Amino acid sequence: MVTDMWQRSLSGLVQRLAGSIGLGGWRLVGNPGPGALLLSARDDADGGHYAVGYRIDGSLAFSTPVAQRCHAIVEHPQQPIALFVARRPGTESYLIDLRDGRLLQTLHSRHDRHFYGHAVIHRSGEWLYATENDTTQPGRGLLGVYRFVGERLEHFGELSTHGLGPHELAWMPDGETLVVANGGIRTEAESRVDMNLDAMEPSLVLMGRDGMLISKETLAQPMNSIRHLAVASDGTVAACQQFMGSGDDVAQLLAVKRPGEGFMPFPVSDEQLLSMGNYTASVAINDTLRLVALTAPRANRFFVWDLDTAEVKVDAPMPDCAGVAAVQGGFVVTSGQGRCRYYSAREGQWLGTPLALPSAHWDNHLHVLAT
Amino acid sequence: MFRPKLLFTSLAALALGACAPQDPQAVTSAALASQVILPTYSQWVDADRQLAQSALAFCQGTESLDKARADFLVAQKAWAALQPLLIGPLAEGNRAWSVQFWPDKKNLVGRQVEQLVAAGGTLDAAALGKASVVVQGLSAYEYILFDSKPELADTARKASYCPLLVAIGERQKALAEDILASWKRDDGMLAQLTKFPNQRYADAHEAIADLLRAQVTALDSLKKKLGAPMGRQSKGVAQPYQAEAWRSQSSLKSLQASLSAAQTVWNGVEGKGLRNLLPSDQKPLAGKIDTAYAAAAQALNDNSKTLTELLADPAGQKTLDVIYERLNTVHRLHEGELARALNIQLGFNANDGD
Repeated sequence: MVTDMWQRSLSGLVQRLAGSIGLGGWRLVGNPGPGALLLSARDDADGGHYAVGYRIDGSLAFSTPVAQRCHAIVEHPQQPIALFVARRPGTESYLIDLRDGRLLQTLHSRHDRHFYGHAVIHRSGEWLYATENDTTQPGRGLLGVYRFVGERLEHFGELSTHGLGPHELAWMPDGETLVVANGGIRTEAESRVDMNLDAMEPSLVLMGRDGMLISKETLAQPMNSIRHLAVASDGTVAACQQFMGSGDDVAQLLAVKRPGEGFMPFPVSDEQLLSMGNYTASVAINDTLRLVALTAPRANRFFVWDLDTAEVKVDAPMPDCAGVAAVQGGFVVTSGQGRCRYYSAREGQWLGTPLALPSAHWDNHLHVLAT
Repeated sequence: MFRPKLLFTSLAALALGACAPQDPQAVTSAALASQVILPTYSQWVDADRQLAQSALAFCQGTESLDKARADFLVAQKAWAALQPLLIGPLAEGNRAWSVQFWPDKKNLVGRQVEQLVAAGGTLDAAALGKASVVVQGLSAYEYILFDSKPELADTARKASYCPLLVAIGERQKALAEDILASWKRDDGMLAQLTKFPNQRYADAHEAIADLLRAQVTALDSLKKKLGAPMGRQSKGVAQPYQAEAWRSQSSLKSLQASLSAAQTVWNGVEGKGLRNLLPSDQKPLAGKIDTAYAAAAQALNDNSKTLTELLADPAGQKTLDVIYERLNTVHRLHEGELARALNIQLGFNANDGD
């Protein structure tokens, strides 16, 4: 009985999503079927790494083996291609043809540089900016600037992120201003070991894509590493943190910068903050519903709040919840250990529906192909 | 003629349905919930009810210090037995810390109890619920009964500790009763480990994964509870005061209770444990895990000394090395081979810092 209800709601979901989320100005050749395209880095049970695309109904669009584990995915605004960005301290990012999963280019980081897992592409479709580490001065935050020449990326130059250990970056609504989460931690090449936990310098930076610093703000706790970002259409920035301090300290793991205001903690209760295991993985904003979602994989906990009133919508257990992306009606959440879920409100009550996607091994970021 | 046939068909279908093989993971999850976890939680509630009563009786002068301590040890053991079964509400929201505060590297327990007692004022279970988790649980209770013993002989000093002792007893009893009640609710853990899918588990495999994860976390924690006083994180310099429950000298007894509970999850009652989920070609692994549990239990059973005594001499330290290594074997087998054999991914993103 429960299963029947579940199947019915799943099929309804697929229809709704199919109706609402198109596939942009191009079609997926050879991959018919309904549903939004979910892009993620994923592993197999033996530790092999893949760049994958799945439709929300569970059908596989592509699964391309890659040498290094990837992290976030950035989609080209005009062409059916996306860059699967190397997870730190990876040195290879992969440009993938989304129609068939073909590897178009392996983008190597430059000498003395490695990727930090995130990148963005300018709306012109010509420029890509990736957060990178200068391993000769570990932690000195850089944006590697790359230019598209046809379907290939070429290195063009570098910009400073005006901070240490940058992680995610995103466009502000003007499409010209970048917001950068400088995690504040120095790490060497070939290493994921933190070097400066006693002298961390996390910051949230707004900068022009010409490199000019617009603002640089911090949170109260220096050991609170600013890592991931989501930007609403009105310019509200949500940032989620990873706290390197003691487990019994309350850390502001979700913060917000509203238009014209300073960077400040999002009003989350201490009880909720303490239940996150000092670690958040991914943040997403659903612009239509004005909701902000957060995954806390160490604590196996998924959260959704009203972006404006901070009312709690979801505070639910979910094993190793990893990537989260906004879709119509709510959010899709992936998992490193279990099944992926679609969270939405039905008759005012927020519920999770398991999806027919493969279970486990999803990396911390999920990108849903935009219309 | 038609109607009886139809009836027969329906009955046959019902009978077949009743005999249809169920998902072994669902059967195991449901069996572990009802036959292993729930009884252990119930024992914990019983022990805490007795603890609450015991605190009152001790403070009213109708119960001896020895009896009060014995009741504490029962509660401590019941809590230790829950360690591999910490899933659901007790594993969330830092509730476990309000039952027992460990590790306590800076002696927060001793300091905060003394501060609270010195401050005076009304102290009941409700007020305690709003105080620091450090003073709410068994660690603070243990401190009062075992570490402040010279003071307890003095009537006035005993009276100053008693409101806190009674409040902790009440608080622990209420907490345990709440958790057990939440397990038994219609949509509580017992139901969620039994019927799938539900809002917690999308399928039985997720439930089994959660059970194994709790098991692996607890086994790892046993190593830490032993490793910390052995000095494994402090260049080999023994740290007896970093042990769990060192004041009552029940550190090793607690390890034993936790290990035994972990073994029950592995074996199950009537064979309905994690072991039963291994495919037949994994018999060698099942044998290895059986042997590892037996060896670890043996090492603990063979020893009659307390942790403090063992830490004090080189022969004792060798005994501890053996216990540690055997716990390590049990832990590694669960974390590695067992997880793989059950197709369970543990901590893919959880620990990666990205």
